[in-house]
Amino acid sequence: MSDHSEILETLARAEPAGLKAAAGDLLPQLGEIEVIASRSGLVMAPMRDTAQGTDFHLGEVLVAEAHIRLRADGTEGYGMTISHDLERAMAMAVLDAAYRSGQGGALLADYLAREKAAQREADTKTLREIEATRVEMETF
Amino acid sequence: MAYVATRGGERAIEQAERLYRAAVGPIDRARIDAIAETLPMLVDRVMGEASLYAPDLAALALAQTGGDLYEAVLLLRAWRTTQPRLSVAQPIVTGGGLTHRRISAAFKDMPGGQILGPTLDYSHRMLATEVLDGGRVAPEPVDPAAEPAPPSPPPLTDWQRAQGLLDPVDAQTPAPADIPDITREPLLFPASRAHTLQSLARADTGGVLALGYSAMRGYGQAHPTVNELRLTEAPLRVKHPCGTLFSAGRIRVSQAEVVTAKGAKLRLGFCAGFGWNEVKMIAGATLDLNSPGAAPKSPTDPEFFLYHTEPVEASGFCIHFKLPHYVTFQSSLDNLRGAAREGEAQGEPASGAQNAAPKPEPAAPAVKKPPAAAPQPAETEPAE
Repeated sequence: MSDHSEILETLARAEPAGLKAAAGDLLPQLGEIEVIASRSGLVMAPMRDTAQGTDFHLGEVLVAEAHIRLRADGTEGYGMTISHDLERAMAMAVLDAAYRSGQGGALLADYLAREKAAQREADTKTLREIEATRVEMETF
Repeated sequence: MAYVATRGGERAIEQAERLYRAAVGPIDRARIDAIAETLPMLVDRVMGEASLYAPDLAALALAQTGGDLYEAVLLLRAWRTTQPRLSVAQPIVTGGGLTHRRISAAFKDMPGGQILGPTLDYSHRMLATEVLDGGRVAPEPVDPAAEPAPPSPPPLTDWQRAQGLLDPVDAQTPAPADIPDITREPLLFPASRAHTLQSLARADTGGVLALGYSAMRGYGQAHPTVNELRLTEAPLRVKHPCGTLFSAGRIRVSQAEVVTAKGAKLRLGFCAGFGWNEVKMIAGATLDLNSPGAAPKSPTDPEFFLYHTEPVEASGFCIHFKLPHYVTFQSSLDNLRGAAREGEAQGEPASGAQNAAPKPEPAAPAVKKPPAAAPQPAETEPAE
């Protein structure tokens, strides 16, 4: 897994306990960390209307956000998850910083691969259940 | 301006709140989790009307209010104001995310097919009374299909536009931060489409249903048919400080298009909101469909349906009538009595109101003792 967007999505969806454990494992090798932001807040969620193409707001989503910088090389890490779990967002930011600074190594790669596979499996299970509800309409 | 002097209500207010909270019982994390897990549709409804997507907080609001939906929505709307807005996400586009349900009542062979998803539409509605006798109702597991469903079927409107059945979309798409926002701008009429759709997204389900239903029954100009109804888990796409766009997670969204075939081309109404709430979306889309050219003050006039379906304003205005209105009412009573006296002086028979009044009194002073038979003044903060 090498695409930054895909990695961030995997981390944002990751099971919280495993995410925090992975961040804890990588933390010692990242050195001193500056916390730029660690907070909860709202992200406005717009949607595009299919009738006329108008963008409008559905409402706001509660998120936890973390933004950090590695003192050693200035690499920034960022985390945002749909929750109010600040630790979870911080863990995501730590793993993002590890990835972007090239310090994640096999530990991060293995974790991301495992987590991505688990998420894919969960989606496949859900989609197989959804497919079971497909209907074929006929006109007599 | 006149006020009823009040004192001594603090204890009563405190005890009244205790009485309410005693009926609700203790609240802990396990109870919140149970509500979130077992009442997802209710949590969705509250999140939609509060326009705050936060399942845990919605469950907490329901627990704290004992299930009073208007109080729960009020709690969430109030809590929302304590949080900073960090950013505006990329617009959710139909055909993305994970689609759980997707049906059309107008086009049986729509591209991508019809998927019922989680629904009771074709089920018998029977109360499981055996549970009250110690029985247990456990859901049967789904028999999964061999292959997964496509996660994101294309919107039906793409096919309809390709067929020339719908006008092409020519709306401007502003930057996300420039999309009009009803929480930061007043709702003015004629309302922009962005304001109309945002207001419907956070509108009261019951209110939207009542007015949408009136349009369906004939108080509107167009009869709706569901063009596409879709329940999804949509990605919340945000921007990393380095510019990378990514999904910070998925949110449950429902959307409905209703269609009318009057005219040279099809015409659509649209509504969408947080959570899975089909009734509100179909009714809201019906109001949207019927709003062009609607007669003023009719249920399908946007000024009428948007003002009257705002849950916090509507419920707040309604319940404010139970707060002390003694001066206003006393003034009305005085007018009534004065008119009766004038009528008597002119030889007219005494009115029922005059007879019913405990005792004629002179013009009301700012603070006065009511007649013995009348209710006592409230010992609370005055409302006027």
